[in-house]
Amino acid sequence: MPNESGSVYGLTILSPIIDDPHARISHDLQLRMHLGALPRGEDSPFAKVSSTHMARLTVMNDVVYVGMPACEEHLQSQYLVFESNFDGDLDTYLRRMATEIPDHVDSVWSHCIGYPGAGDVAAFESYMKKCQLTTTFYFADVNDKTVQQTLRALQTQAAVASFIERNQGKPAAELQNAFTKFLGKLRAAPDPRPGSGKDQSI
Amino acid sequence: MSKLNETDIQGFVLRGYNFPLARYMFLHLADDDRAGQFLDRLLPSITTGEHWDDGKPDSTVNIAFTHKGLRRLRLPAASLLSFPVEFLEGMQARSAVLGDTGRNAPERWESIWREERVNAWLGVNAMSEQALESCCADMLRIMEETGGASVVGWQDAAALKVDGQLTTKEHFGFTDGFGNPDYLGFERSTQPGQGKLMPDGSWAPLATGELLLGYADEGGELPVAPIPHLLANNGTFMVYRKLHQNVAAFRRYLEEKGRQYVGGKEKLAAKLVGRWRDGTPVELSPDSPDPAIVMDKKRNVNFTFGNDNAGTRCPIGAHVRRTNPRDAFGFEGRLTNRRRITRRGLPYGPYAPEGAEVRDDEERGVAFMVLNANLARQFEFVQQQWIEYGNDSHLGNEKDPLLGNRDEGGSFLIQGTEDPKNPPFLCGALPGFVELRGGDYFFIPGMTALKMMSTGTVDPR
Amino acid sequence: MTNITGKTYAMNAITPMKPWKTWILRGFFFLLGHIKPLQADLVNLSFIHFARWVVIRRDSFPRLSAAQPAEDLQYDYLLFFSNFNGTWNQYIDAFSAVLGKGLNLVWFWSEKYPGAVPVTPFKQYIARVQFETDFYYTAYPHATTNDVKAAHRVQQALDTLADGSGNTSPAEFEQAYVRFLVSVQRDLGSTGLAPIGV
Ligand code: HEM
Repeated sequence: MPNESGSVYGLTILSPIIDDPHARISHDLQLRMHLGALPRGEDSPFAKVSSTHMARLTVMNDVVYVGMPACEEHLQSQYLVFESNFDGDLDTYLRRMATEIPDHVDSVWSHCIGYPGAGDVAAFESYMKKCQLTTTFYFADVNDKTVQQTLRALQTQAAVASFIERNQGKPAAELQNAFTKFLGKLRAAPDPRPGSGKDQSI
Repeated sequence: MSKLNETDIQGFVLRGYNFPLARYMFLHLADDDRAGQFLDRLLPSITTGEHWDDGKPDSTVNIAFTHKGLRRLRLPAASLLSFPVEFLEGMQARSAVLGDTGRNAPERWESIWREERVNAWLGVNAMSEQALESCCADMLRIMEETGGASVVGWQDAAALKVDGQLTTKEHFGFTDGFGNPDYLGFERSTQPGQGKLMPDGSWAPLATGELLLGYADEGGELPVAPIPHLLANNGTFMVYRKLHQNVAAFRRYLEEKGRQYVGGKEKLAAKLVGRWRDGTPVELSPDSPDPAIVMDKKRNVNFTFGNDNAGTRCPIGAHVRRTNPRDAFGFEGRLTNRRRITRRGLPYGPYAPEGAEVRDDEERGVAFMVLNANLARQFEFVQQQWIEYGNDSHLGNEKDPLLGNRDEGGSFLIQGTEDPKNPPFLCGALPGFVELRGGDYFFIPGMTALKMMSTGTVDPR
Repeated sequence: MTNITGKTYAMNAITPMKPWKTWILRGFFFLLGHIKPLQADLVNLSFIHFARWVVIRRDSFPRLSAAQPAEDLQYDYLLFFSNFNGTWNQYIDAFSAVLGKGLNLVWFWSEKYPGAVPVTPFKQYIARVQFETDFYYTAYPHATTNDVKAAHRVQQALDTLADGSGNTSPAEFEQAYVRFLVSVQRDLGSTGLAPIGV
């Protein structure tokens, strides 16, 4: 499957944006304002859909004219682009979006043509699949680790560096003791939160 | 490649003068025709790259301008706007890009740099005190007589005297002045290790355009340069940074960690820099200094890191490996060739002999200058990505152990082996050894350009 | 800036292609997917978390209702999305310096593509065909892909050390610990903020 690399799925969605000549503020502009204000860190809606490694949303308002001798052409619709890189299969992911962050999903996609709402999960899934583009070539540098494994590993790395510094030069027995304690603490530490960009000190 | 016209290039660009004394005067230019008159009067004194057939002169004079200075010289608007944006902005405005924050932030700089009153740098190098004073007196006379410039500050700098001997040491005790790139068309005979690495393992000079405007660069194009060509040709950009050195903190740190590190204090110092204090490259001789290598021009800059990916000889984060990674990133060094800088400058402040009492608040450091064709791609990149950051060498956010701008302590890892004589060692709680006191970006025009600037004849387009 | 979250930059680009050329490009991507060495340079450069190319035929833009006007286009389009570390200039400089040939095979089929070398016209082209990102999320904003890979190596080494450390004597443990140190000593750089773009 060209949309997948190892255990990571690359989803590309192009949703046509409503073109309403009577809107006081056009839907693409409303969308841009809304997207610009969405939280990006641990309070981001995508932190809740916790299998998301990276995701972006943007308005593609037209194609680009690259100059002579190419010809100039324009799109009839504007499109909302959704690019996401996540663990697991597409169905599960879409279901998680519809059930875990339905309000967010609605507030974004309600600007798009034919959007059925996240309330009807089956309709939502089939809508999203209609908007999906098949990836021609997908590259994932790390494609065998889940978001949670990566966050854990980053936490471990930070903790190990500080352990090494604190215990440099200690006699063997003391070192072994410290290590056992350290390992216990590290394993008991809560899962780091996606999107927070912080590692808890151990 | 045509031969360079050395008499059109300022001498400071073509060679490190190796004079023991320098005074860098910082000028404010008059906001009228007198600035050009001053420059016109100054022109005959400027030292070019001409051959010194009759031996070294007693002193040299060179000049460079900030963007504000060029405005005062009434360059046409089209020319002023055609300079690269980082030069237009000046070094202070780039502080976020450069990581000049916290203790290196502009608020902490000396007032002349904070206030951005410096329009020009007038560099005088001299063989003796007397030559220095007499040359500077000549310069002051030209300023007074034309009314075109005044001195708002200056920096004296001098080669360090250690045990009564002139040296090329800097204040931390390391011999400096080895690594500097060779460029195509330059007179100086090339030294293996100074240019770029070729696929067959040999070294070749870098394209001239990595230093001088108007010549092809390593990317196969002319460097970004102001218009018209004559204004740019044979010119280059200079970074001036006054870098204060906390010698007491450095010595204290070496003492303390040197007691914990199996290799001892001198080896620790060598691992931080990537050269032993006498200059021996750690990559070539990881366990002890070797004067035979230092003396040998075929060997003293001739090394690569490709066979030391683990960093067990020269640590991955060592200063010289960061600032010139050579082949460390693979791709036959192609990720390094466009990030090379030419270093100039001298220490300021008296050398504190080992063991003597020394304080960090004493005036002591290096008047550090960098020459390059593209400030953003070369100097700023090295400073931002390789000194203040570590991702290119897979070191995360770790900074240069010697230069990193840090308040709260950072760490540096000396990679080692399972051999108990060469264990891995983590240098934690690193203090800030070097602090920025100010500086700016300058344009060093060629002689033709200087003449055009002084007579107001740059084509306005 | 919207294109950046933490240490990662979201790039979007769209370029027009004459429809008959699309097939050649597809062929190339097929090879790229099946011949591993072609991907090796991307892996070695190691500054892209995820990237994708999507060819969209001129008649296959999603159309969700009869009321939505059909697109009327002469060109097919190549969409490119990348999640990379470093600054925009650094990214394109590196691409141009070491991946030029590979990139040319991808974009050669796009109208007015100037080639990856020299870099200045290449940058001008990218700047023209790039469009901005309104919202960007990453689960680990403090980490580059180098950081992520290093962290996984540390995790693995730690797990190995932990597995073997159950009933060992202090002396044996110390030996294992030194081996552990040597195995992770290139992977301990801290995570955090990225420098800002120029
Ligand atoms: C107080 C500040 C500094 C001190 C004490 C210092 C010290 C040294 C020493 C001892 C060497 C080895 C000798 C040599 O190869 O010539 C060296 C090399 C070098 N340094 Fe620094 N340095 C300082 C600041 C900087 C800065 C700010 C940069 C860059 C922006 C820089 C870039 C380099 C480069 C490019 C080399 C040559 C590496 C090579 O080609 O192998 N240095 N420095």
